[in-house]
Order: sequence, then C-alpha cells, then structure tokens
Amino acid sequence: MEKQTSPYRWGMVVDLDRCTGCGACVVACQAENNVAICGKKEIAEGRNMHWLRIERFWVGEYPNVRARFLPVLCQHCRDAPCEPVCPVYASYHNPDGLNGQVYNRCVGTRYCGNNCPYAVRVFNFYSHQWPKPLDNQLSPDITVRPRGVMEKCTFCVQRIRRAKEDASGEGRLVRDGEVQPACAQTCPAEALVFGNLADPRSRVARLVRSPRRFRLLEHLGTHPSVYYLKGGGREHV
Amino acid sequence: MKRRTFLQLGGMTAAGAWLSGCRSANERLIPYLVSPDEGVTPGRAEYYASACRFCPAGCGILVRVSEGRAKKIEGNPAHPVNRGKLCARGQAILQELYHPDRVPQPLKRTGPRGSGKFTPISWGEGLSLLAGRLSALQRERSTERLALMTTQLRGTLAELADRFVAAFGSPHHIRFDLLAPDWLRAANRRSFGQASLPWYDIAETRYLLSFGADFLEYHLSPVHYGFAFGRMRQGRDTVRGHFTYVGGRMSLTAASADRWMPVRPGSEGALALGMARLILTESLYDAASMAASGLWPERLAAGLEAYDLPQVAQLTGLPQQVIAEVAREFATTPPSLAMAGEMVAFQDNGPEAVRAVQLLNVLAGNLNRPGGVFPGGSVAGPENSFADLLAFVERMRGDRIGVALIHGDPLHTIPPVTGFPEALARVPFVVSFSPLLDDTALQADLILPDHAALESWGDVIPPVAPRGTVIGLMQPVVTPLHDTRQFPEVLMATARELGGGMAAAFPQQSYLEMLKEAMKKEVHPAGGIDFETVWVDLLRQGGLFKTEGKGGKGYRWTAEAPVPAPAEPRFAGDDKRFPLHLQIYPSTAFYDGRGAPLPWLQQLPDPMTTVVWDSWVEINPATAAGLGIGFGDLVEVTSPRGSLHLPAVLYPGIRPDMVAIPMGQGHRGMGRYAEGRGVNPLALLALADNGTGPLPAWNATRVRVARISKEGNLVTAGNPEGSYRGELIEI
Repeated sequence: MEKQTSPYRWGMVVDLDRCTGCGACVVACQAENNVAICGKKEIAEGRNMHWLRIERFWVGEYPNVRARFLPVLCQHCRDAPCEPVCPVYASYHNPDGLNGQVYNRCVGTRYCGNNCPYAVRVFNFYSHQWPKPLDNQLSPDITVRPRGVMEKCTFCVQRIRRAKEDASGEGRLVRDGEVQPACAQTCPAEALVFGNLADPRSRVARLVRSPRRFRLLEHLGTHPSVYYLKGGGREHV
Repeated sequence: MKRRTFLQLGGMTAAGAWLSGCRSANERLIPYLVSPDEGVTPGRAEYYASACRFCPAGCGILVRVSEGRAKKIEGNPAHPVNRGKLCARGQAILQELYHPDRVPQPLKRTGPRGSGKFTPISWGEGLSLLAGRLSALQRERSTERLALMTTQLRGTLAELADRFVAAFGSPHHIRFDLLAPDWLRAANRRSFGQASLPWYDIAETRYLLSFGADFLEYHLSPVHYGFAFGRMRQGRDTVRGHFTYVGGRMSLTAASADRWMPVRPGSEGALALGMARLILTESLYDAASMAASGLWPERLAAGLEAYDLPQVAQLTGLPQQVIAEVAREFATTPPSLAMAGEMVAFQDNGPEAVRAVQLLNVLAGNLNRPGGVFPGGSVAGPENSFADLLAFVERMRGDRIGVALIHGDPLHTIPPVTGFPEALARVPFVVSFSPLLDDTALQADLILPDHAALESWGDVIPPVAPRGTVIGLMQPVVTPLHDTRQFPEVLMATARELGGGMAAAFPQQSYLEMLKEAMKKEVHPAGGIDFETVWVDLLRQGGLFKTEGKGGKGYRWTAEAPVPAPAEPRFAGDDKRFPLHLQIYPSTAFYDGRGAPLPWLQQLPDPMTTVVWDSWVEINPATAAGLGIGFGDLVEVTSPRGSLHLPAVLYPGIRPDMVAIPMGQGHRGMGRYAEGRGVNPLALLALADNGTGPLPAWNATRVRVARISKEGNLVTAGNPEGSYRGELIEI
C-alpha cells in the first residue's frame, strides 16, 4: 500500500436502502459540472454525457418482480485501470485519492474509457452547443470541454479545492460535511454521503464499517473509493 | 512595489495584450486590481434564497449567482420542507430562465388561432388591448363574462387574483389542477370533518402501507417525503421501517417497497376494507383509538361483512394469505401508517376508496401520533374544482364568456373529454401569460409573458409542512432577461388602466408592496424593530419558518361519517373490445408536463424505463408476447375516445391486464425541446360518471393495444437487454 501523503482520502458511500432512484443527483451533476445537453441521436449511439447514471435492474418475473437502482459514478479507484494507459498523463491520481482528468492534456485516445470496467468515462464525440441564452447557466468554475476530450466525475473537485483553501486560510483541516459534491448535496433521501475516509470519525468512514458494505466489481482489484451499502431487509421476493 | 503586485500587473498587461487581439463584443474583463462592481467578486459566487413553485410542494431553494447570472439551484437547508435537498425538477428551473425560446415581449395574434403567427407589440399596446376588451364588458354591464383561469394559487397571488375578478364583478376564478389534492381534502372532510391536508410522519413509522400514493415522485411533497423515507429506512439504530405498496403498476415509489401488491385496478378500497375486517375480527385493532373516534368494533365489523377474505381475494386478484399477512403486520407493527394516493383517487370509486384507507389508520391507532398521520397546517383549498371546471366549460360553450385570462397551460393538462378545447375556441378573446409558446398560448389572441420564476417576487406556501407557519419567499435573483412582466403586476396594471373601482381595489403601487404588507401581517415585528430589517432577514433566510407549536385540532373520525363503501369499479370501454386498463401517471421528470421544455429533464433517463426524450407505453412482457409486441415497437393504443401511436416498453412491473403511459409530453408548442415530442395520453381518457355527475376518474378508461411496426424510434439510456434480469452486480 502506498504512503498516504495527504490528510484526505475522499470517498463516498451510496446507501442502496435509502436510494429511491429519483434522478435528482443526475441533474445536480449535470448542472454543477457543465455537462453537455445530449439529444436523442447521441444517446441512441450510446454517447450520453452524464457523469452519473442510475442503473436499473429488474430482478425476477411478474408478480414477484423487483426493480433495483444503482447510482454509478466514477469509483475513484486506488488502483485505477484508466490511469496507466493514458499516453499523455491526462488521467492521473492526486494525493487526496481523486482520480483526476486534465482536460488540456487529453488528446482523445479513449484508452482510459476502454479500460474502465464501470463505463463512467464519457467522451466528447461532438461539439456541444448551449443555444443562447442557455450558455449563461455555464459555471465559471469548470471548463467547457471541447470535442475530442474525455471527461468524468471529479467528486466536484472545484468544491473540494475551495473548501481546502478556506480551511487552510483558517489554519485547519476541512471539517466533515463541509464539502460535498452536488449529487450528495441534493439527494433527498441522503443516500449519498461524501467525506474523508482517512478520518476514522467522519460520517463516511463510520458508514463504511457497516456490514452491508460492498464495492462494485471488487474482484477486479481496483479498490474503489465508492462504497455501496446493500439494500433490502425483510423481503418478500 | 511588492513582488506580488508586480506579478499581478505583469499578468494583467500580458492578458490585456492577448485579449485585445481576440476580444468578442460581449466579453468584459473584470479588473481585479480596482475594486469590482457591487455584488461582483470575480470567482466568488453569491447565493440568493428563494422558493420553488414548479410543483405545488413549495421547497426552499438557494440560487448560486455568479457575475449576475444564475448558475445553479440548490436546496435551502433552513427550509423545513426540503432541508437543503432538491429534486431533479427543482434544479432544472434554471433552464426555464435561460430557455432559448422564451417569449421576449407581448405578442398579438395575426394568423388564425393555433397557427403560431404573432406580431410583437409593446406593453402599452398590450395592456390597452386587454383593458379595452374589459371596459367593453363593463360598458355592456356584462362583467360576469370575464373569467380568470389559474392553477391552484396560494398566498398573496391567490388573494390578488381573487380580488381582481371580484372587483371586476365576475364570479369566475377557475382554479383547476389535474393533480391537485382536491380528492384528499374532500375525503378528509367526509371522514374527519376537516378539509386540511394530512402530514404523514413517514420518518418515524415502522410499517408504511401506501395505496397508490407515489410520495417519492409527485404526491403532495416528494422531497419532504423522500427525506423522511431515507430516515425511515436507515435513520434509526434498531428499526428499519417496512414498506408495502398497493397498486397495479410498480411506480418509482413502489420500486423502493419491500412488498408490491399488484391489485386489480379499482379494488384498492375493497382491499383496505378487507384488511379492516380482518383486523376487527382478529381483535388486532387499537381499542383506545376506536373509542376516541366513537367507533364500535362489532358494529363496524358487521358493516364490513361483505368484505370477507375469500371475497376480497377474488375482487383484488391477490392471494388470501398475502392479504391476511399484510393486514396483521400493519395492525401489529405500531406505529404504522396507511396513505392513499392519486392512483386510487382517480378510479371512479376513488372518493370512497380513499376513505377506506383512512379507516385503516383509525383501526391501527395511527391518527395524531408520531409515526402516523397529523393534520398538516391550515392551508385551505378547493375540494371539487373539477365541478367548477365543468361548469365553466358549459358557460364557454353557451358563449357566456367574453374574455378568458389564462395563467398556466390548461389545453395540455385538461383532458379533452371535458370539452374544454372546443369550448375555449368559442371564447372571443383569450389572453395567455405563458413565458413559452405553449399549447394554450398558441390558441391565445394576446400573450403577456410572465417572468421566469427566478425573476419573480412571490410567496410560496407549501401544502405540507410538519406544523406551524411556513411561507417561502421568492425574490428575483437576476435582472429580467427579456421585456416581460410578472403576472400579478400585469393584473394590477390592467386594473389601474381600467380605473374606477378596479383601480381602487389595488391601492398598492406594486405586487412587491402587497407582498411586503402580507408578510408584515404575518410577523408582527416587535416595537422598535423596523419592518425593513425584518424583511431583509426574511429574504436572506428564504422566508418565514415558524415550526414550533400551534398543534391544531387532531383528526378524529366524525360521528356522521358513514362507513366507507367503495362501489364496484366501472370503466369506460367494454372489456371485449378494450381488454386492457389504462393508467396515466405523472412523469418523474415533467410532473404534469410543465417540465417538458427543459432539456436537462428531457435528457434525464426515466428511472424505471431509462427512456429519454420520448413518451412510451408500458406493457407486461407476457401481454406483449401475446400481441407480438417487442421492446421499442411502435404500437397503437386505442380507447373509446381516440388512439395514439407511441413506442412500447416491456415492463415487468405491471399487471398483465394493464398498460401505463406517463404524462408530460405531446406539446404542440413550448419551445424547441418539447414541441411535437411524444404524445399526450390525456387525449385517450373518457369521462366516468357514477350517477352523481362526472368524476375526475382519470384511471378508469380501458384501451386496446396493437402493434404497427418495429420503428418505434425509442431510445433508452440503459441497455434494455443488459439490465433486464441483469445479475452483473449482486445487489
């Protein structure tokens, strides 16, 4: 295991027992991160630009059928398969445990997207437009990615940066709950919890110790920073 | 000169030299060495508190504004309804503000109605056109020929609209919303003697039993109840609340349930009474609650004799032991909670079925106790606005309406079977206040465009709040983009133009002044404190939130309330020619259709089907196989009223004798993102009549489905093959 050089190791817990699949996080992410508006044709080609998607699984058959929701975002793996394949180091690991993407390094080989087992990296196959005055909604904190660039969930790194700056201005560490990505902030059922896994007293670290914990495709050895808590209780299906 | 200043100056010079070469006209460099404009800090955003009025729930929002432009909407953590959380729709109203197809100034119709040919006019001209029509009515002494049609407004806006119509001398202010909880107010009045809407304590309940109440999507206050749902599941150390859902279609809400009971449509009331009878006969009821409500268990059981278990099992199509198990669990897991929702109320026996569910709460002792149901706030509202609507349609048909002022889009949200579209076509002068050219605006003679919500003042009173007084305040967060005016301001300006008694009815100079007066009455600032200070504080926190105390009169079954008796359900269309039940439900993204122009919501995959940018019909895979229909095929859905073409989605969570279509699409206008997209299923609905008059029974129509081709042009974000029975991840 590598040496921890930062006091932070950002991670997220997704409680599937709370998640209702409502989609508030998807729109929050799109609004926060200048994610492009994709038309029907683009989505039909499998080129939807959403950084966060909600997978829906049907289990069983009528009448003993269940629908399950699984919010999938970048898992910010500690051993990320997307990182070593980038020829220009656009995909990198930062000391806080974030799996970063440097847009102005990216040359669009799409190797990282190919190598991601969670299919959470999205590529700008097209030049996206915001018809005026819709462009006013674009956030000044985040670049608008041009055609030919790979993009992905950043855990709202712009918010983390700001919180860290504010904290270091006051000579302290970022407090638990002080910073959260747009998806976790808006989640009505509080299914998404974000925080510092390196702080054993943080809410996210306490939730991670739950016996309901699992990670997606754990057998691949990617060591994701996103933990899921298994849903369900006394079930009849 | 310090090193730092030198570098800053150097940087500025270099950037300036570079920028002057390729500067576009609309760019403005904000100098960071001189002090910036008021309210503009480069790189630092401001947050303005406001309130969301997209759906009636009335959540509090914070709008992030950077350099004079609204950037993002978040929940207001101080607001007791949504506590910093927000749904997809609430976040997307940003795109209402910046929608590229907004009506930028008043328009006058030039072509025939519906042609979309308008010519831009000034506000002066628009207001005098309207005032001219109105003063003509005054001269003819037929002021009752004016009608104002709005959604169910609350607070100062409702007061102002009422006052406008009353001062003019017309009795017609029609407040109809397809999804408004009139049915719940009416049922509460009949059962409990008070029409207040309930507040369900979902967070503290241990057994939640929902009869068609989709509280995670649109029922009353989805964010409030979504938050409570999360706490019900995992908010307590040792208790995980159990959730059972009753309804023929597995809605998004039902998908979160532990048990889904796919009951036969229209038999929900019978199921509730069957459970009630079992609870009574097995003596599982709460004796204290029964006594407090003046109900005699033996007498009640005798009244429910018809609902014995085998009979109910046959009516509902559910196994006997499942019904018995749920009834026992419900009665023996206090505090439990039963809710009735739109999917029950919109059956033709809905009013009584809703009361049958309320009876369950009485039996289990869930009235006025933590984890149960309370009367929520004192917001009064219409109990049968549908009757008002039908009376209004009759008037229009008889050419007894001369001027119709319409706020909202009734042509899209009122089922055509009511005769509304044809009747409206007979009205000589129709004024729309829509900010987009929606279905109603396209048929209007004059369009006086309203501000977007983020440009408006207003008070938003949520229908559901724990207790106390909650008034959210809307404030403009950006300067208006276009030459639009807020709807109440237009009414006031028209009144001033008319002069006389009309002008006297509105002594205030502006709607803002009226709003401030109303708030002043609410807060009673203590002596010595200036109201302006209080007002600024209210705006800063997003409204007035007094959540302490003021426990109203609790619910109690009234002595006069009869035992609920849901009749045998009836449906439009015979079961031979129309073998399938049709269920219409509000789309998760668009609500009743008002979200359709917003591209974020169009792009948001529907949670259950992952369909984007379209309408669809959900069919059970077994039924579809029998009809030769595959995923994404184009099908024709025919009801006694008409037929629609739309793609099919194979949906394992629906009864085989049922199909379902979401509301919200099928707009004739409403801008580039909504226009001509999908279908409006309301066109299929027939009117139910149980002998006492027409009922808003929107789920009591039968249809047949036939395959047309495989060119459904359906696009899903998730792969229907991959996720269907997907065992990729063990969850």
